[in-house]
Amino acid sequence: MRRLIAGVAALAIVGAETQITNGWAAEVVDATGHIIKAEDTSRLLSIGGDTTEILYALGFGDQIVAVDTTSQFPPEVSTKRKVGYMRALSTEGVLSTGATLILASAQAGPPEVVKALRASSVPLVLLPDNTGPESLAEKVRLIGRAVGAEAKADELAASLENQLRELANARSRISKPAKAIVVLSVSSGRALVGGRGTTADIMLSLAGATNAAASLNGYKPVSDEALIELAPEAIIAVRRGPDEDTAADIAALPGFKAIGAGDDVPIITMDALYLLGFGPRAPQAASELMAQLYPELPR
Amino acid sequence: MVDGIDLDLVPGQFIAVVGPNGAGKSTLLRLLTGELKPTSGQVLIGNRELSSFSADQLARRRAVLAQHTALAFPFTALEVVLLGMTVPGLQAEVGNARQVAFTMLERLGLEQLAGQSYTTLSGGERQRVHMARALCQLECSGTPPDETILLVDEPTSSLDIGHQLIVLDELVRQKRRGRSVFAVLHDLNLAAAYADEMVLLAGGKIVAAGPPSEVIQDERLSLAFGCQVCTNRLPAGGIPFLLPQACAAAEVCAVARKSPATYS
Amino acid sequence: MAIESLSLPHAASASSDRHALGWRLLIAGGLVLVIAALVSVSVGPTGLTLSDLPRALFAAYSGSGAPADVHARLVLLEVRLPRTILAAFVGASLAVAGAMMQGLFRNPLADPGLIGVSSGAALAAVATIALGSSFAGPWVRALGIWALPAAAFFGGFVTTMVLMLIARRHGTTAIATLLLAGIALGAIAGALTGLLAYVTDDRELRDLTLWSMGSLAGASWQKVLAITPFALVLLLMTPRLIRALNGLLLGEAEAFYLGIEVESAKLRIVTLTAAAVGAAVAVAGTIGFVGIVVPHLVRLIAGPDHRIVLPASALLGAILVVVADVAARMIVAPAELPIGIIMAVIGAPVFLHLVIRRGGALSAP
Repeated sequence: MRRLIAGVAALAIVGAETQITNGWAAEVVDATGHIIKAEDTSRLLSIGGDTTEILYALGFGDQIVAVDTTSQFPPEVSTKRKVGYMRALSTEGVLSTGATLILASAQAGPPEVVKALRASSVPLVLLPDNTGPESLAEKVRLIGRAVGAEAKADELAASLENQLRELANARSRISKPAKAIVVLSVSSGRALVGGRGTTADIMLSLAGATNAAASLNGYKPVSDEALIELAPEAIIAVRRGPDEDTAADIAALPGFKAIGAGDDVPIITMDALYLLGFGPRAPQAASELMAQLYPELPR
Repeated sequence: MVDGIDLDLVPGQFIAVVGPNGAGKSTLLRLLTGELKPTSGQVLIGNRELSSFSADQLARRRAVLAQHTALAFPFTALEVVLLGMTVPGLQAEVGNARQVAFTMLERLGLEQLAGQSYTTLSGGERQRVHMARALCQLECSGTPPDETILLVDEPTSSLDIGHQLIVLDELVRQKRRGRSVFAVLHDLNLAAAYADEMVLLAGGKIVAAGPPSEVIQDERLSLAFGCQVCTNRLPAGGIPFLLPQACAAAEVCAVARKSPATYS
Repeated sequence: MAIESLSLPHAASASSDRHALGWRLLIAGGLVLVIAALVSVSVGPTGLTLSDLPRALFAAYSGSGAPADVHARLVLLEVRLPRTILAAFVGASLAVAGAMMQGLFRNPLADPGLIGVSSGAALAAVATIALGSSFAGPWVRALGIWALPAAAFFGGFVTTMVLMLIARRHGTTAIATLLLAGIALGAIAGALTGLLAYVTDDRELRDLTLWSMGSLAGASWQKVLAITPFALVLLLMTPRLIRALNGLLLGEAEAFYLGIEVESAKLRIVTLTAAAVGAAVAVAGTIGFVGIVVPHLVRLIAGPDHRIVLPASALLGAILVVVADVAARMIVAPAELPIGIIMAVIGAPVFLHLVIRRGGALSAP
């Protein structure tokens, strides 16, 4: 008898909690193939700088309650709570934000935490990895479906695809592609550069440059000698904060000095999230990069 | 390296092994403790070979007092003595063990230092603590005294004469309880005064064995140690003693060192 | 045997005090651990406390799907409880491993990291992270989230075996050789780790850095299951080594005189240490200082008798890591600090103090 009462009570509670006020709900298949039912978008947790940017672009900035530490644009995001680095999340920390929907970049981790979050009652949508220019529109559309802003998302995606087409056009007018190299950071006298398979690589190809470090796989440190061999014609210095003078750090390295960095070989400085975040500003960033690489190119 | 040793340890007997440095005294001791195995011949307890005993079975029958024991951690003196109870299977109740340990310390004149940290003790005090530990091990082993052996390596080396006598008196007391005492001693006079039997080892071989009066003899000792000694007997009790003479005859010394094996 | 029955005079009672103190330490330690564990389950960024436990248990028992119940069940029973258990296990095993190493080497500054066990475990884990998406892909995918723990334990164990091979000659294990070989193996493991770090791409490298700072964020019942056999083995086998460890404090020759089978004891000590450290590193990454600081503190309070040192180290180590873990997840909530950093902050000054106090006196012969 007691069991029956408990069962009925449970049912009543369940029924009450899932009463949908606005009647909207979305079923989304996320990048890992899981089917996620998103019903409540009032409190969003965004993991990944690109995820956050897309959410703001879709007008959901106010609903974001917390972000990870890679989310740094737009500037308003600095007021949001931080749940830590996206690859070092903690289950309870994430749950304590009271989020009703989690949108996370493919790189969110550690895997056990992702698994635990899936087991929680909070829907978790994992976004696809950045495999190429088409990933951008994919991400936008998936996020749009998950938050119920499909129309706006389609608009944004179309706009982005347009920008990419323009870029392709501009690229066709490049007579001689420049060999460029993206330097992520400098530590203990060595530069970390973006080889193939990285977002840096995608951005370079979007900007109409060839990757001087294409022989390397992933982000790798290079020695001075290797640098001379790679013989880049342009260096893109990635800056993580407005105070960092990455260009000067790079120019100081003997390997870079040897190849004429700063003189024959220009150093172009760009913000990390802007260039490599692969969010909605990516086509714009690629365009800017292209302009800096090919100043004489008609726009 | 020792060779051709034929030795019997008898309950209730105090045997002192003497001889020059490098004669093999410590090696002999280590053969008896079971640490070293003989390349030929046997070491027996009763009729059983030493190597057939497990380590803890041996520990119930014999205790060893080594020449140097280092201890890195700050035990108190009493705790070090209680380490004698480490033998696997030894099960005295704590209270009883502590009393035994304290008694041992008392016997060796250390009762005031029981609660003191081992690291603050002098060399001589430490040696006596270890002796107390060895005694504690045997007392608590449950083996009747006349089936136990106490093996001692230079127990008097860093002690003043007063404490040397305390230690040797204790060895004699243990002998009287029936234990077999085997001690490597460097002081020939003390050995002669306290031991029932003496063994003179030189070049790895036994060159003399028997009561002190037989071993403490001019020629024997001079050859063995490579210097002139002069032996005599004390008026009271007839205990033999020796006095070293300056090494006058260089040839004698040279001969003795080269071929120590030419003895009758 | 005729022993005069006497009451122990004052000089001897100093030792008895320390002895009694030891037992009181164990009882107090046990109580504090229980309290610390309750605090650990009760404290967290979501604000749930023990009062939510009935709800969590109800959800577990009835399978209720009500969000509040599921939430409570998830946080209390699926996140905090296994995490607390793992923290206690990691703390206890690292501390006990440290105590055993110090007994074996007769040096209060000895540490399992010294004989290369941690480095071996770390190397294996790094290899798994670095090669997980390429070379070792199929294996890693097959083992899923068990791949890393299994590899780390395997690495620690293999290192120990190699070490024993190098250091054993004619049936004896020279401790000095063991120590030097351990340092050399640690260096090799470090070099290989660096090499692997080069081969990976940046994404995996960042995982590595995080892992090497230690974290219990990925705690799960699966991991608890993984370490249970190790915990049982340690629980059963370690007490049997108490006498041997005490005897070894006097040196190997003396230990033999006292009836300890020295070679067998050394082998068991090294193997158990490898098991303890390997398992701990496998589930929590590398966490330092517990193995050195905890046993030393215990000895300062209660003396070097392993009958007290081993259990007290286990308790104190468990308490330390459980408390440090609570701090790790609360200080910058909702983010987390790597627990290795907290241990370093607490442990490094204590370690320095120990080194200074000991001055020049390092090892016993």
